[in-house]
Amino acid sequence: MQKDSEKIIYIVAEHFENIIKPVTYELVACACKIKKFYPANIRVIILGKETEKLSFEIARTTGLDVTAIEINELAFNNAQIYKDVLKELTEESHPSFVLFANTPHGLDVACGLSVRTGGACIAGVEGIDKIGETLCFRKQMFYGKINAHIAADSDTLIITVQPGTFGIYRPESQKPGSVETRKVQYSSEIMPVIVKRRSETLDSPISEAKVIVSAGNGIGERENLDLIYKLAGIFPGSAVGGSRILVDRGWLEYKQQIGLTGTQVAPELYIACGISGASQHLAGMKGSGFIVAINKDKGAAIFNESDICVVEDLKTFIPALIEEYEKESKA
Amino acid sequence: MKILVCIKPVPDSESEIAIDDSKSWIKEINLFRMNRFDEFALEEALSIKDRDKNVKIDVISVGSAASKDVIKRALGMGADSGILIYTEDPGYISPYMTAGYIASYVKEKSYDIIFTGVMSEDYMHGQVGPFIAEMLGRPCASFVVKQEILYDSKCVYAEREIDGGLIEAVQVSLPAVFTIHSGINKPRYPSLSNMLRAGRTEIEIIDSNLISFPVLKQKIMLLTVPEKRREGVVLSGSVKEKAARLLHILSEKAFIN
Ligand SMILES: Cc1cc2nc3c(=O)[nH]c(=O)nc-3n(C[C@H](O)[C@H](O)[C@H](O)COP(=O)(O)OP(=O)(O)OC[C@H]3O[C@@H](n4cnc5c(N)ncnc54)[C@H](O)[C@@H]3O)c2cc1C
Repeated sequence: MQKDSEKIIYIVAEHFENIIKPVTYELVACACKIKKFYPANIRVIILGKETEKLSFEIARTTGLDVTAIEINELAFNNAQIYKDVLKELTEESHPSFVLFANTPHGLDVACGLSVRTGGACIAGVEGIDKIGETLCFRKQMFYGKINAHIAADSDTLIITVQPGTFGIYRPESQKPGSVETRKVQYSSEIMPVIVKRRSETLDSPISEAKVIVSAGNGIGERENLDLIYKLAGIFPGSAVGGSRILVDRGWLEYKQQIGLTGTQVAPELYIACGISGASQHLAGMKGSGFIVAINKDKGAAIFNESDICVVEDLKTFIPALIEEYEKESKA
Repeated sequence: MKILVCIKPVPDSESEIAIDDSKSWIKEINLFRMNRFDEFALEEALSIKDRDKNVKIDVISVGSAASKDVIKRALGMGADSGILIYTEDPGYISPYMTAGYIASYVKEKSYDIIFTGVMSEDYMHGQVGPFIAEMLGRPCASFVVKQEILYDSKCVYAEREIDGGLIEAVQVSLPAVFTIHSGINKPRYPSLSNMLRAGRTEIEIIDSNLISFPVLKQKIMLLTVPEKRREGVVLSGSVKEKAARLLHILSEKAFIN
């Protein structure tokens, strides 16, 4: 049995172009939450070609100890190298938890580490609680309508943390953590990787709009976008956005996509029309000032994020709203 | 070339999801459709077949009766044959278990490409594809928004969406696993002639009890309904009354003049 003082929680830092991604600090917040139920030492692991600047930055801003693993062959976040190196580290020091960000990179590495070490892996974690004596990890299911509290019986438990759910960690102490740097040579063949920007830009008036009227799959037919534009016409300083589904279909432009992989917005007013409220969409709009949702399903997850809930078919409700508005403005 | 596409049925986003008496799973659902991300994965395979008639596409699903219907639909869209790994229990199957069943099946076969959706819309794990790859010791490119087979070098050039606005381009040698993101193509509808053929095609059914592999212990302890994070005032009355009420609120807050 490990003593509490020997138990370890690893955090695997995410970084890109020599910048620590904010989600790394959310992982710290998650680790601190775990620590409340499960006393252990938190250590941040960072892999990279050059890690000096980043590892000291993490040690300074979090007060946590950092292990930096420098790998000359590591251009970009090559998952293959991460998996190999982290497997060795895990087998050497038997951490109780290894935390990743639930990003394409983090998820990929987490699943690999899980199979290779035999440690269970729970993905998309948004919260932690105890049910009876059992530590459980909360994640969304069924379009965000249900929370599942999952437990695992595993020496090492691998977790991927949903970005935007634990908040950013603010340290209590000002004392920086220590940095231990290791150099690792990687000799296996490496999958060639390059990173580029998407050709369409996200530069759009949507991030400046005071009011956003947003359309989801619930609009049904493309023609019903007219209703959304008409509704937006009521509000000065408004723009039309939407969920990824409509962008995928080519009904809206990419720069109108709101969410994790689109634009993140925080207008004064956000009106969600026929949007279910999946976490990837919420990630792009939950900071809005005032949120109104129109959805015919009273159980839709979007209603949990709304100030005003309108349980109606948008095809009848929006015309009624516009009609009412026109009547009022004439009066 | 042989391609395997992993598909599953999901309840629609409008379905009522209610927690059952055990509090650790949901009440039975009767209406399912194909997971949207899997439709994109299947379409990607079909478009490869459109260009090369020698390509053979199998679809596989782990589940029970509802899985049969999505397999039939996949055949209707143009897949050649369907495999169902049958599990008696309609309850939760973890992504590790699903991947374990599929990887065990694949071990005996010679698929060049395995496609899955990036995640299932109901369980939202996104793990089945990477798990399968890892269990088989094959490379994996996840969150793929574009792919092209490079026949000469037996590789696939794939573009992954790694962040909003960022694309990672990789070259993956076959055999390999790809998880396909939405928007990569426009999934076709089943055709009448294919649906007729699908009706006559036998689905290969494999009893999941006959497949064994090391299991990772993980289970759902409890399901809960998410808390409201905002006030969530539900407007009441007729459509007209609700419209008037909403207008009133919005003009009080000075969003409309
Ligand atoms: C890695 C990844 C990244 C993603 N990034 C994004 C992103 O950036 N942005 C994003 O939006 N999504 C993103 N998604 C997709 C996301 O998971 C959901 O699939 C998507 O947000 C669902 O869109 P929706 O709410 O419009 O559609 P659905 O989930 O289909 O919801 C439609 C809603 O409309 C309601 N409805 C139906 N008919 C009517 C009617 N007549 N009147 C009123 N209401 C009606 C239904 O009750 C339902 O709630 C991403 C997914 C992944 C895996």
